[in-house]
Amino acid sequence: MNGQREKVVIVRYCEIHLKGKNRGYFEQIFMNNLEKALAGIRHEIRRPSGRYVVENFDADMTDEIEERVRKVFGVHTVSVGTKVRADMDEIFDEILRIAPEKGTFKIETNRADKHFPLDSMQVNAQIGGRLLNAKPALKVDVHAPDTVLHVDIRENGTALVFKGIVKGAGGMPVGTAGKGMLLLSGGIDSPVAGYMIAKRGMTLECLHFHSYPYTNMQAREKVEELARILSGYTGGLNLHVVSVTHIQEEIHKKCPEEMMITLLRRFMMRIAERLCEASGAQCIVTGESLGQVASQTIEGMTSSNAVVKNVPVLRPLVGFDKTEIIEKAREIGTYETSVLPYEDCCTVFLPKHPLIRPDLAKVEKAESALDVEGLLAEALSGEEILRL
Amino acid sequence: MSFEAAAVLYEMIYLDNAATTRPDEEAVGEALRFLREDFFNPSALYKESFAVHKRLDAARKNILSHVADPAQFELVFTSCGSEADNQALFSGARRGNFVTTEGEHAAIYQSAQELSRRGIDVRFAKLDRFGRADEADVLRLVDEKTSLVSVIHVNNETGAVNDVARLAAKVKEKNPRALFHADGVQAFGKIPFRLTKNIDFYSVSAHKIGGVRGAGALIRGKSKNLFPHIFGGGQENGLRSGTENTFAIMQFEAAAKKKFAALAADLERVRGYNLYFRENLDRELFAVISAEDASPYILSVSARGLRGEVLLHMLDDEGVLVGTGSACSSKNRYSRVILACGADEKTADGVLRISFSRENTIAECERAVRIINACAKNLAERTK
Repeated sequence: MNGQREKVVIVRYCEIHLKGKNRGYFEQIFMNNLEKALAGIRHEIRRPSGRYVVENFDADMTDEIEERVRKVFGVHTVSVGTKVRADMDEIFDEILRIAPEKGTFKIETNRADKHFPLDSMQVNAQIGGRLLNAKPALKVDVHAPDTVLHVDIRENGTALVFKGIVKGAGGMPVGTAGKGMLLLSGGIDSPVAGYMIAKRGMTLECLHFHSYPYTNMQAREKVEELARILSGYTGGLNLHVVSVTHIQEEIHKKCPEEMMITLLRRFMMRIAERLCEASGAQCIVTGESLGQVASQTIEGMTSSNAVVKNVPVLRPLVGFDKTEIIEKAREIGTYETSVLPYEDCCTVFLPKHPLIRPDLAKVEKAESALDVEGLLAEALSGEEILRL
Repeated sequence: MSFEAAAVLYEMIYLDNAATTRPDEEAVGEALRFLREDFFNPSALYKESFAVHKRLDAARKNILSHVADPAQFELVFTSCGSEADNQALFSGARRGNFVTTEGEHAAIYQSAQELSRRGIDVRFAKLDRFGRADEADVLRLVDEKTSLVSVIHVNNETGAVNDVARLAAKVKEKNPRALFHADGVQAFGKIPFRLTKNIDFYSVSAHKIGGVRGAGALIRGKSKNLFPHIFGGGQENGLRSGTENTFAIMQFEAAAKKKFAALAADLERVRGYNLYFRENLDRELFAVISAEDASPYILSVSARGLRGEVLLHMLDDEGVLVGTGSACSSKNRYSRVILACGADEKTADGVLRISFSRENTIAECERAVRIINACAKNLAERTK
């Protein structure tokens, strides 16, 4: 009787059902993302009504599949179950195997196959009754049971039996909400910003600025690692790397010391916008959080926003506390890498007293000492792109 | 990066020999059979193993003989200099107080911090501006409760030489029961020296003199109490368990033999390189930190006002590899030792450590000096 048993992973999605006529489109992208997440593992994904079922894989890979699938945006919940013949004895055998020895339970049956001789209430009653006989320490509680044992009778003569439902990453399938250019610094915040925006379905390109030789190779490595971690959530991404060394040197030489960061950020935004055009990204995403550091005041944001003409700048962390961001960074696995002690380009030439409330007119005046277009062209000509 | 093309045109110039040296090829060749044919565990009971065991003891005696009388001293193989330092400290400083200096290698300094956390009274003696231990201060800190004194022989950042034989004698005058340890990693095979009876423990390492990594040793005066740091199968007379790294040890033996045979000649040659740097580095940009009588193998200079690590990257792109006293990381930005020499932060920020080996040539030094001067000038202009 064990011959028919096979492990399956049941995946339920969220929010896609809200999408009315676009549903097919969302579901197709979600399916593709699931396939991408499971690349390299033998499997099949079927889509009976309202869920996806991963099956026909090697039982040893069950945990790995569950883990990978859980990280895919758009996944609401995941269950690992067993596929058996749609036969009351076989269903009961499996229920008996996975049921706890004591505590309260209920059986919850979903009967997609309306030709099955018993309706769902009858299945619940029969299986529940037999289980009570087999394990006398168990009790039924249909309102707040310790364990819910699920029976899902499908059209093709099989049934899925499982307990336990694990939360997935939530959100929307990546690829259903356009493309953004994430400024990835190497700090704690920007990977979290990227994660949050990817969770809403956006595909990401990442952009990192370095100042070699003022920064070292380890700093660069660290950013590549962060992008790699993020790519696990987004199903791959491109990392653009641009040197701002000469820009910083020019600002250092020709502009007031306290404006270094304000002016540098304007250059970064300009570069980001141009790379948006080149790569088809529709917005810039930053990890700024209001008031966190001198350049992240509303005046600072105004001054850097002023140079972006054609795309919106999204700041998903704007209202978050540092502690909340750190918590999220730990959760998504970027924190340990972010706190490695290598400098990103912002801390070289760091002024003793950066401008906290830059005045746009004064900033623009200071900037007029620089050959902005020339510096931008030079920086962009050295752009490197890594596919992760 | 624009410098990369230039780097390819020339041979790389390696001037970070205090970090590690290129393993001596001949010595590797001689020792290879202990990886391939004579790979046996020296502790096994068949005759093949016993032969390796005997060979290992010969190597032990040969390495020891370069700096000490095997009738008075013994040698315990360890995996590295740091392990030897750790064993000496955690074995020797079990009670009372431990006296050391602010100019120690991290293997001593961090062990001292740990001893302190474990309740040992740890005392740090001051340095002079060259990184030499202040002898009077060391002696002032030693009292009847001192269980161990540890002073680095040649400072790994400035090359400052401490007269450990004289210091050990004075320590024993004040407290005959105190043990004396010296970290000799940057001295062994580089400057002429014999261990005296007042020195109880002495740490050495293979890879600073053409050895491979994985072999070091703690030399100890016979009958001086030493406790194991690693417990297990009882190798090294129970003082350092773990299957012996016979390849690394044999290669160490061969490299040491070669290095000690040429010690005087190498010293003269390297002194020439050191002098060339002192005379030709741009005085507008560089100040020499190392003392005139420091080990010529190490020259510490500071490009004051510039950042050492940035300069290091620029030199790297030009094919010149040097060390630095500072790191761009926010933690440990300045060298603890350079600050202990009394240097201000600007000086500490700009430190470069140039360290030589017998393999360098004067032509390399000439080119390196030109490149170092040019890069520092370039950086000074770019960041003015």
